[in-house]
Amino acid sequence: MLHVMEDDMSQQPLARLAGAHKRFGAVKALDGLDLAVDRGEMLALLGPNGAGKSTAISLLLGLQRADSGSAFLFGEDPQSIDARRRIGVMMQEVNLSPVMHPHEMIAQVASYYPTPYTAAEVIKRLSLESIASRPYGKLSGGQKRQVQFGMAIAGRPELLFLDEPTVGLDVHAREALWRVLRDLVHEGCSIVLTTHYIEEAESLADRVAVLKHGRLVAGGSVDEIRAYVSRKNILCRTTLAREVITGWPEVQELREESGAMNIITRDAETVLRRLLAADANVSDIEVRRAGLAEAFAEITSANQADANQGGADAGKLQ
Amino acid sequence: MSNAYAQMSRSRVFAAYLGDIRYELTKMVRTPAFAIPTIIFPAMFYLLFGILAGGGRGNAPFALQALARWSVFGAMAPGLFGFGVSLAFEREQGLLILKQALPMPPGSYLIGRMFNAMVFVCISTLLLLTIAVTMGHVPVTLGQAARILFVDALGVLPFCAIGLFVGSLISGQAAPAIINLIYLPMAFLSGLLFPLPIRILQQITPVWPSHHLGQLSLAAVGAPAVGTTANHVAALVGVTVLFFVLAMRRLGSRGISLLGPAPTGAVFPLRRALNMAMMGIAIGLIITGIVGGTAPVAAASTAATSKDATEGKTATAATDAAASPDAPVGVVAPDTTLIADFDSGSDQASYGIGWHAFDDKSRGGNSTTSQRVVADGAGHSKGALEVSGDVGTAIQYPFVGTSFLPNGKPTPDFSQQGFMNYSSRHTLRFFARGDGHNYTVAISGPVLGAIPAMYGFNAGADWQEVAVPLAELGNLDLERVKAISVGTMAPGPFRFQIDNVRIE
Repeated sequence: MLHVMEDDMSQQPLARLAGAHKRFGAVKALDGLDLAVDRGEMLALLGPNGAGKSTAISLLLGLQRADSGSAFLFGEDPQSIDARRRIGVMMQEVNLSPVMHPHEMIAQVASYYPTPYTAAEVIKRLSLESIASRPYGKLSGGQKRQVQFGMAIAGRPELLFLDEPTVGLDVHAREALWRVLRDLVHEGCSIVLTTHYIEEAESLADRVAVLKHGRLVAGGSVDEIRAYVSRKNILCRTTLAREVITGWPEVQELREESGAMNIITRDAETVLRRLLAADANVSDIEVRRAGLAEAFAEITSANQADANQGGADAGKLQ
Repeated sequence: MSNAYAQMSRSRVFAAYLGDIRYELTKMVRTPAFAIPTIIFPAMFYLLFGILAGGGRGNAPFALQALARWSVFGAMAPGLFGFGVSLAFEREQGLLILKQALPMPPGSYLIGRMFNAMVFVCISTLLLLTIAVTMGHVPVTLGQAARILFVDALGVLPFCAIGLFVGSLISGQAAPAIINLIYLPMAFLSGLLFPLPIRILQQITPVWPSHHLGQLSLAAVGAPAVGTTANHVAALVGVTVLFFVLAMRRLGSRGISLLGPAPTGAVFPLRRALNMAMMGIAIGLIITGIVGGTAPVAAASTAATSKDATEGKTATAATDAAASPDAPVGVVAPDTTLIADFDSGSDQASYGIGWHAFDDKSRGGNSTTSQRVVADGAGHSKGALEVSGDVGTAIQYPFVGTSFLPNGKPTPDFSQQGFMNYSSRHTLRFFARGDGHNYTVAISGPVLGAIPAMYGFNAGADWQEVAVPLAELGNLDLERVKAISVGTMAPGPFRFQIDNVRIE
């Protein structure tokens, strides 16, 4: 019977919001949000400030209740202590005691879990040996974030919620943390990541969910989100006058960057043919799809009508 | 993966609770802004005001009272600051929200902090006891020390609840100032540290939880106290429950539940009703405590309660410990039971040195007292002794009134006074009336500076008989009675009359 349940559970999302509405006074934070986190995936939750990311996470963590709709964590009420024993949490806005030492803080959080890592294991995994016995208050901002990350993974979680985990980290520390995240996913841990670093989501996430005004406006793999934006960039060196290029109807925008032209268009093939026909000396041609950052910017800067349409599209992407 | 994964053995859950206690204790110890004031300040103030400048040095009863009072001052701080300031900061800095999201065992945050507050109170009280014994030469017994530790350690809980409530309301930046604005005035207005100069303030002392804890602490060391233990405990339990429920409600409205998952659905109104019921009961307990908070320890009538007798017995330890077993037994009391009826117009007694007004100037005080024989005694007898004056605030523990030396000698040296053997007597009776305030009968034994046996009564407008059950005042060595005094410690003007004093 237990095996059957486990099999059933393995098909269920680890965390799910279903038609979640949440309002703070006159502000509508979530507007019927549907969101699911599947086993073994890293989901990046993106959106401009006030999009509802934090509220969505709060509902999944059981820190707040939805006005309507529902939230589940491992199929249970998110406030269930059993469900919480299967997650790890790293929050952005938290100040820990400045007098405690990282190894003590990690050990304390680990003690809440059934089968945690030891503090020593976490410290070794994150290479925190040099700061493990220093007062937390004397650590740099980046080191503090690393300690908080250590606390988040100390319980050997099945699902990890990370809110801006790499803020304040230098390049090396960020790459090291990314490696750990990839390892965790490889080990079967699911991760929900909120970040303002689009390249972080682009590099790490299996799936991206873009929120705006409390609704899901786009969702899918990073490639799917990129594809959501149809325009492309054609980088080249050409002797053609600027007016000639901007006169082509397929060209949306033209930028001059370091002596090269960046032609932005939704119809790259036609523009490329025109370019080759008009300038036999055109060189250094490079065609780029829109990055996640551009896609994100386009999705989130769309007007409300577009956003609504995007929401419908997001349903298709999922 | 099934829930079995998420289940923890009891031993691991217990270890998590212990881990939180240890973590919080380490944090508090490493925070000088918390540890130093809560431990050092009460000891420093006790040394300064209770022993050096308070008239307590070489005056054991007063130093013992000071010990009890300052220990309460020390017991308040860990609760108020440990909860109020820390909670306000941690709430503001997001730590409580993080803890909410973690599988923290239900209530472990509160349990850890309460335990640590108790630990700090014990450290503070032990430090005071050490100072009392080593520098104040206070004859405190192990039993008294254990009782005061017990009272103070549990007595921190209402202040934890108050701190919790305040910490749920205010910002971390404002918390230290606000808590100090509660802590110091509450200690002062409860009459804990210094006698209150204004009568209205004296009358409202029972509204302060520190008053109730102070009286329990005084009773714990056998010092005179007002109110009954039941009254004080009721008030303190009421304060604890009321502020705890208020704090939980306040934190709950901020999305913080320190006792586990917040209720939903049908459970929510049930818990709300339970909260309301608890608050109602708590307010009832507080009112009970306030109403009885200043009642005299013993009733003015002849019917002394067993509680009174118990409190009398608690006063024995210091004298028992300090009494010299070799002190000679006093002169056997004369057959007459009458000590004085003042009908002759004189304050002389049937034997011994007659009644003498005494004040506290020899101890550095500024109290005044005088006595005279007046007409219209009890039962319309010819005369009564009227004692009046004004209790000053120059020293911490004034005591003034009138005193009778049954085997006294014409010398001002109290140590040279003789003893009277009253071992065949059971009750000291007299009639009293006065201005409605509480007064104390103090019967001194052979040891200079030891706490005398004490018995409280109220002197109302009409004559009323006061019966002091001598056998129940365990602090009393009836074979070696040196003085019988009637007086007051309450600052301000006083006036009372006594008549027909007998020992039967």
